[in-house]
Amino acid sequence: MTLPDDKELESILGDGVDLNTFKQILEMDEPGDNEFSTSIVFGFFEQAEETFESMNTALNEKDLDKLSELGHFLKGSSATLGLIKVRDGCEKIQRYGKQENLDGSPEPDTNVCLERVKEALTAVKSDYEEVEVGLKKFYDKDDEEEEGA
Amino acid sequence: MGARDDGPGGDSMISQGAGASSHYSSQHDEHEASQGRRDSDAHGNSNSNSNSNSDSSSSSSSSSRSGGAKDQDKDTCNATSMMALSGGSLDTSLSASMMSMDGVGGSDAMSVAGEGANSNGSNDGDDSRRNETTTTATTADAATSTTTPTSADPSSTSFDVADLLDLSPVPTLVVSPSFHILRVSQGVVDAWKCSPDEFLGKDLFATLYGGSPLERFDRIPLAAAIEVAVASRKYNLCHAAYAAQGVSYSARIIPIFRGDTLLSLVLEWDEIEPGTAETRGEVIQHALSVDEVFRLLIQTVKDYAIFLLDTRGYVATWNTGAELLKGYKKEDIIGRHFSNFYGREDLDAGKPEHELIVCLREGRVQDEGWRYRKDGSRFWANVTITAIYRNGVHVGFGKVTRDLTERREAELRLVAAYEESAKLKNDFLANMSHEIRTPMHGMLSACSLLLDTALTDDQRDTANIISESGQVLLQVINGILDYSKLASGNFSVNTDLVGVASIITSVVRNVQMTLLPGVYIKLLLSPDLPKSAQGDPLRYRQIFQNIIDNAVKFTEAGSVQVAASVTGQDDTCYTILTEVTDSGIGVPEDAVQNLFKPFTQLEKPTKKRYQGTGLGLSIAKSLAELLGGQMGYRPNRERSGSVFWFTVKLKKIANSLNQLDAPYKAERDSEKSRQEAEKERMMKRIKELAPRKRILAAEDNLVNQKVLARILKSLGFQNTTIAANGAEAVSTLRASPNTYDLVLMDISMPVMDGFEATRKIRTFGVPIPIIAMTAYALRGDSETCLEKGMDDYISKPVNINKLLQKLLTWLDSPEWSSSATNGPS
Repeated sequence: MTLPDDKELESILGDGVDLNTFKQILEMDEPGDNEFSTSIVFGFFEQAEETFESMNTALNEKDLDKLSELGHFLKGSSATLGLIKVRDGCEKIQRYGKQENLDGSPEPDTNVCLERVKEALTAVKSDYEEVEVGLKKFYDKDDEEEEGA
Repeated sequence: MGARDDGPGGDSMISQGAGASSHYSSQHDEHEASQGRRDSDAHGNSNSNSNSNSDSSSSSSSSSRSGGAKDQDKDTCNATSMMALSGGSLDTSLSASMMSMDGVGGSDAMSVAGEGANSNGSNDGDDSRRNETTTTATTADAATSTTTPTSADPSSTSFDVADLLDLSPVPTLVVSPSFHILRVSQGVVDAWKCSPDEFLGKDLFATLYGGSPLERFDRIPLAAAIEVAVASRKYNLCHAAYAAQGVSYSARIIPIFRGDTLLSLVLEWDEIEPGTAETRGEVIQHALSVDEVFRLLIQTVKDYAIFLLDTRGYVATWNTGAELLKGYKKEDIIGRHFSNFYGREDLDAGKPEHELIVCLREGRVQDEGWRYRKDGSRFWANVTITAIYRNGVHVGFGKVTRDLTERREAELRLVAAYEESAKLKNDFLANMSHEIRTPMHGMLSACSLLLDTALTDDQRDTANIISESGQVLLQVINGILDYSKLASGNFSVNTDLVGVASIITSVVRNVQMTLLPGVYIKLLLSPDLPKSAQGDPLRYRQIFQNIIDNAVKFTEAGSVQVAASVTGQDDTCYTILTEVTDSGIGVPEDAVQNLFKPFTQLEKPTKKRYQGTGLGLSIAKSLAELLGGQMGYRPNRERSGSVFWFTVKLKKIANSLNQLDAPYKAERDSEKSRQEAEKERMMKRIKELAPRKRILAAEDNLVNQKVLARILKSLGFQNTTIAANGAEAVSTLRASPNTYDLVLMDISMPVMDGFEATRKIRTFGVPIPIIAMTAYALRGDSETCLEKGMDDYISKPVNINKLLQKLLTWLDSPEWSSSATNGPS
C-alpha cells in the first residue's frame, strides 16, 4: 500500500496520533502489506485494554506503585506508536502513582494521588478509544482499498 | 714577374729533350722554340726594336704552320687543322694580346692561340708594361737571348704541326667528345711526372681523379665547366680543377667544333701558385677572395634572413633570405628601422630597444616571437642579434632570423597531444580504480566474514594476511582514484558541518592503535576552534589522516604532536591551521622539494620498508588547496623529525538572527537533502557492519520489543536477542560474554531495571557498550545513565535515524575501547 499523505492520515487518526512516529511504524511494513504494523497496533490494543484492567484493579487496591509502573509500561508502547494523548495520560498516571505532581514536586497525599489517577485513567481511556476508532478505521479503509483494488 | 721568369728555363729544358730524341723537323722546331724564347726575352727587355722582331717572327711562324700541317702528320690531321683554324682566327682578332703571351715561352701556335684567348685584364696590363722602357729582365735572360741569334727559323716551314702539341711545354690534353684522351703534351709529362701511356686512350675523369676517395666530388667542377664550354662553344675556365705534385692547376677548356659537330676538347693547364694573392695584396690566382666568399654566402642564403643593423637599429644590409622571409625588397628596407618587423604588442612593451640593450650588455640576444612581413602576415621567428665590433668600436648589430612557424605549430600540436593523452591517462586511472574498488570491497567483506568463523591458527594467519593486503591495496587504489580525480579537476568538495576538534580526536583515537611501542601522541586543540563550521569534513579528515599516518609511520620513538588553532578569521571564514610534529626520521634537505610531487617516495626502492604509492602528500596538498588553504613542510627544529602543516578555510555558520530570512530557508532545504544523503551513507555503512554484529536488547514491553526488533532487522542485524528484563539481559551476557557487540537497555523494567543490570554487567567486567533507552521526558534520566556506567543513551520512542547514528558510533570503530585506555587528550 502506498502511504496516505499527512492530511488524510490526520483526518482519519485525529490529533491523538503523532504522524511522524506512526509513519515510522508504517514504514517498517513490507511493501504491499501492512501485516507488521497491524500486528503492532492490534497488539497494542490488546495490551492497552489489559493494562487498563490492571489499572482498575490497582486503583481498587490503592496500589500507587503498581499504578505508576503500569502507567510507565503503557507510556512506553503508546509512545512507540506515536499515540501522544495516551502517552501523556499514562505519564500522568505514572507520576501520580509516584506521588508526584506534574511538575515533579512531591505530593504526599495518597488519596489526592489516587483521585488524580482515577481522573487521568478515565481521560486516557477516552483518548485511547478515540485513537482506537481512528486506527481501526485506517486499517479497515486499507482493507477495503485492497479488496476494491 | 717570377712566374714569367721561370718560363724560359722550363722551355729550354724541353727543347733539349726534344732535340735529343728527334728528327730533322724537330730541330727546326727547336730553333723555332728558341727563336720564340728570344722573342719572349726580348719582350722582357722591353726594347721597341725587339718588339717588332718578335711580331714579325711570330706571324711568320704562324703562317708557315698552316701550310705544313696539311702535308705532314696524317694522324693528327684533324686536330692540327683545327688548331690552325682556331689559332688563325684568334691571331687576327687578338694579335695584340698574342704579343703579350709572356711566361709561356712563345712556343707553338696552339699555345699562342690559347694564351691569346686567355688574355684578359692582367695581360692587358702586361701589354702596357711591355711598352714601357723598363729593364727588369735578368742579365742571364739577356745573355741567353743573344747566344743563339742566328739559328732562327730558316727551315720554319718543314716542321710537323701535330708535333707542336706533343712537344708543347704547356700541360695540354686533347680529349674526344666522349672524354677519351687523344693527345698528351710534353708539358703534361714533365709537370705531372708521368708517361703519356698513362693518359692516352683513357677516360679523362678516371685518369685525373681515379683513386681519390672523393672522386665523385672532384670531377664535378671540371665536368660542369666542360658542359658550359660545349654549350656556349666558347673557351671556359675551371679553377683548381686538378692537383699534381702538390701544385694546383686551372683548366682552360677549349671546345673545337666543325659546324655543329664537336670534334674535340683541348684542355690546357695553368699552374696556380699558392700565396701569390696574399703577398701581392691583391687577388689574382684565386677566383674568390675570402671576403667575396662570405659576401656571396650571406647574400645567397635563402633560408635565413641575415642582415646588419647600424648602431641605432637601422637596416644596413639585406640578403636573399631576408627578402624571401620578410617580403621587403632590398631597396624597400635599407635605411628603415628594424622595429618595423615587430608587432604592436612587442612595440608597446619596448621589446626591440630592450633587445638591443641586452645585446650590447651581453654580446648577443636570442628571442622567439611573432614577427611581421611587409604584407602584414606574421611568422613565428627565432631571432639572434649579435653586437658587432670593429677594432673594439661598436659598429652595429648582426641579425639572423629563422622562420619557425612550422616547428612551432608542430610543437603546439605535440603539447596538445600530450595534454590529451595525460587527460586520457587520468580518466583511465579514475575509471579503473573505481572498477577495481567495487570487487575489492566485496573481497574484504568476505574476508572479514571468514575471520569471524572458527579457523585454525594457520588459516587465521592466512586470512589476516589476505585482509591486511587487501586493505593496503584498497588504500593504494583510493589514492590513485583521488589523484586522478584531482589531476583531471573532477574533484568535488561537499559542504557540510565540520567540527575540527571532533575530527582530530576521532582520527587520533584510531591512529593510536597503530603507534609503535614507546611513541605517544600529544594533542593541543586551541579552545577557540569553532565547534562547527561549514566545509568538507571528509576531505579535512583525509588530509589530516594522511599527515598523521605519515608521522606515525615514520616515528619509531618519541612523540607525535597534533596542534590545531584558528590563525585568522573574517566575516565569513575561519582559517584553521593544523600542524603535526613528529620526532621521526625527518626529511633530508635535498628531498624537500620533491615531497609533494606525485608518485615520489623518499626511500630508495631497494630498501623499501614503508608501503604506499607516494601519492598521499600530493593528494593531501591538492585537497588543502581545494579547501582554500595550503600545505607545507619544515624540519622539526627541536629535535629530528618533521613538521607538516596545512590550513583550510571554513565558512562561518549564519547566526540565528538570519534564520527567518529566505536564504536560510534555502539553506534549511539543502540541509534537509544533506541529512538525507548523510542518512543514506550511514545506512550503507551499518548494513556493511550489521551482519557481523550481534545486539542484545533489553525491553519489557512486547509492542516495543517487536518494533525494536523490526528496526534492528531493517538495519541488517539478523541475530538480535531480546531480553524481557534486566535480569535476563545479565544472565544472557554472563552465559556468552563474547557473543554480543552492544546492548540496548531499557531503564524501567520489572524484576531488574536497566541501571541495576548495567551495574551487574560492569561488575563482572564485560567491556561492552551499553546504550540506554530512556523514556520520553523524564528529566535527569540521561545524565543518570552515564553515571550508572552506561556509555550512551537514546530517548524513546526510538527514532530509527538516531538509533542508526548511535549504533555506528559504537560499532563502527574501536572507539569505545580506546576511551577506556588513556587517550591522548
